[in-house]
Amino acid sequence: MHLSLSLSLSLSLSLSTISSLRFWHDFLSHQVKKSAIRMLKQEFLKKWIMGLQICSASKKEMSILERKNAIKLSADLAMASTRNGSTNWSRALIANASKENDNTTLVHQILGKDSESMIKKASNSSAFRDKRGTTCRGKKMLRNRCCGIRRVKKMAASASSIAKKLVKKRTQVLKRLVPGGESMDEFSLMEETLDYILSLRAQVDVMRHFANAAPPN
Amino acid sequence: MNRALPEMLHCINTPGNVAGSFTDMSVLERQRARIKWQQEQLLNQPPCYFDGNDEFNGYSMPNHAQDFHNLINSEVGLVVKADPGLDNGWQEFGQFGGEGSGLGSSGFVNGSGFELNYGISRTLSCPQEVAAEMEVAAVTETARRESVSPEKMSSAVGRESFKKRKADRNQSLKAVAEEEPNEKRIKECNEEDESKITEEYSNNSKNTTNNDNNIKRETSADTSKDNSKVSEVQKPDYIHVRARRGQATDSHSLAERVRREKISERMKYLQDLVPGCNKITGKAGMLDEIINYVQSLQRQVEFLSMKLAAVNPSLDFNIDSFFAKEVFPASTSNFPIGVQSEITNPAYLQFNPLQQLASCTGLEMGINTPDMALRRTTSTPLSLPETFLNSSCFDVISSTSIVFRISVSMLGTFFLTKVFSHYSKSKPQQLGMEICKTFTIIVEEEGSNDASNLKMEM
Repeated sequence: MHLSLSLSLSLSLSLSTISSLRFWHDFLSHQVKKSAIRMLKQEFLKKWIMGLQICSASKKEMSILERKNAIKLSADLAMASTRNGSTNWSRALIANASKENDNTTLVHQILGKDSESMIKKASNSSAFRDKRGTTCRGKKMLRNRCCGIRRVKKMAASASSIAKKLVKKRTQVLKRLVPGGESMDEFSLMEETLDYILSLRAQVDVMRHFANAAPPN
Repeated sequence: MNRALPEMLHCINTPGNVAGSFTDMSVLERQRARIKWQQEQLLNQPPCYFDGNDEFNGYSMPNHAQDFHNLINSEVGLVVKADPGLDNGWQEFGQFGGEGSGLGSSGFVNGSGFELNYGISRTLSCPQEVAAEMEVAAVTETARRESVSPEKMSSAVGRESFKKRKADRNQSLKAVAEEEPNEKRIKECNEEDESKITEEYSNNSKNTTNNDNNIKRETSADTSKDNSKVSEVQKPDYIHVRARRGQATDSHSLAERVRREKISERMKYLQDLVPGCNKITGKAGMLDEIINYVQSLQRQVEFLSMKLAAVNPSLDFNIDSFFAKEVFPASTSNFPIGVQSEITNPAYLQFNPLQQLASCTGLEMGINTPDMALRRTTSTPLSLPETFLNSSCFDVISSTSIVFRISVSMLGTFFLTKVFSHYSKSKPQQLGMEICKTFTIIVEEEGSNDASNLKMEM
């Protein structure tokens, strides 16, 4: 009895400390988030400029489209490597970039010393994604055919099923938009989308300032 | 209390009460046996409980109903603890029962998180509860029904109603224990108790970071149970109750519910993140907005890289030169502390004597350099009036760091425009990295402005 009492008391005490910590976390999270975004942008700019310098060093004469592609690629890679390969989308992005042969050197140089493991991880995930993607497509086609028949059979579908279909369609679109999204389930897709939007926003901010600052020739 | 224990174990073990061996009994069977035993005890020897009342004299509630309640709870704890065939979950059940009786606060057996969160409200509402219980003990069933329904909205409802249910049980057992529907309901509520406990264990086994969720869910489950209870009292709807219980206890639906909750939580974050998304209800609309936003961001990246490619003939970007030429004049206007210590330090040193001068220079600069202001990025014109505003009430709030920082930035502007124009002409290569740093910080400053505009809270 005494043991259980003390146990429960200690449990409640630890829970109360946790809740107070959560309160402080909420209180301070704003500042933390701001500084995190700041760090993100700093990292991104550093890596992007590095990538641009590498690009310019490797090729002297470029057409405008090539230049644009190089800028975009280096920006994407910088963004992905800023996330340090911790998220699915960044890994997928790196994998997609390293697929093309002429980009591999750039990828290696931007990602630095731990590029090998990251690319391995990324290609693993991308292979997985490819496999999943093909099977999914096959299934989807099959299902579509079935749905077509069924749709003919019963025209009046309930409102909830329509809503579900809409959500599903949009989820598919979103999966195509987020790099590496094909292999994700709904929950991780949401998380990755959150992360991706934040990174994209940081990227756009930095690039916009860069572009505004550039001299109009 | 201790004296009652072997008695009860004996009662349970006797074949007259329960068929089959004790260890083979399911949880439900054990529960039933316990209730049966309690009923018998109540019927046969009611003075036993009033002897037990002496043990609870130390608590602040001398109310009869409360003591009775406590006694039953402590018994539950003891019985379950002494149970030889019990699993881990039941041990915890006993623990919480013991806690309830030990602390003297109503002793309702529940999960720890719930206990913690609603402990305060419970203690606050305790006198009311006691009064309500007295009332319950006094009035008939219809009156009780009325007293339950208006309290449906409060957070402590599940608990209170449960207490009432227990009080009901006491009352019914004391008065006429053989009433068939009442007995049925007792069993029902005990089963509910069980399902609740199992749910709690599954909750506890999950990650502790989802504690909030679990508590929330528990509350909802509690209220739903309360609702079901109310509906049950009004009109026996067993199928509805069963469905709810099945939903609560089934591991698949539990996992599904957790997953859905997680997704909706992420959707909420996304709603905060994506501008113009907080007015839209419905998942499809929100997904539409998110898709549009991601697409627009991706297109912006495309466009900006195209623009950069078009603007710069070579990919070299000539970073040093164009930072020095273009970015830096814009950046000096909101130059923060600590970027270049050797330059801002003189600003610090001359800060106090130059207080008045600072505002003057700020004004002069704002007026005299229109071309610079034109070349600035969008956020700098916004920051200039701010500066003036703060410098006008400079003496009043000079201690605050914001004003300090702004004034330092003004001084920095004053010095740095000269220092850097000189510096960048002489040694552009050395400055490259420092300017890059500065630019980063400027970008961050403006980015944070944008973030506050866009309600970026991640």
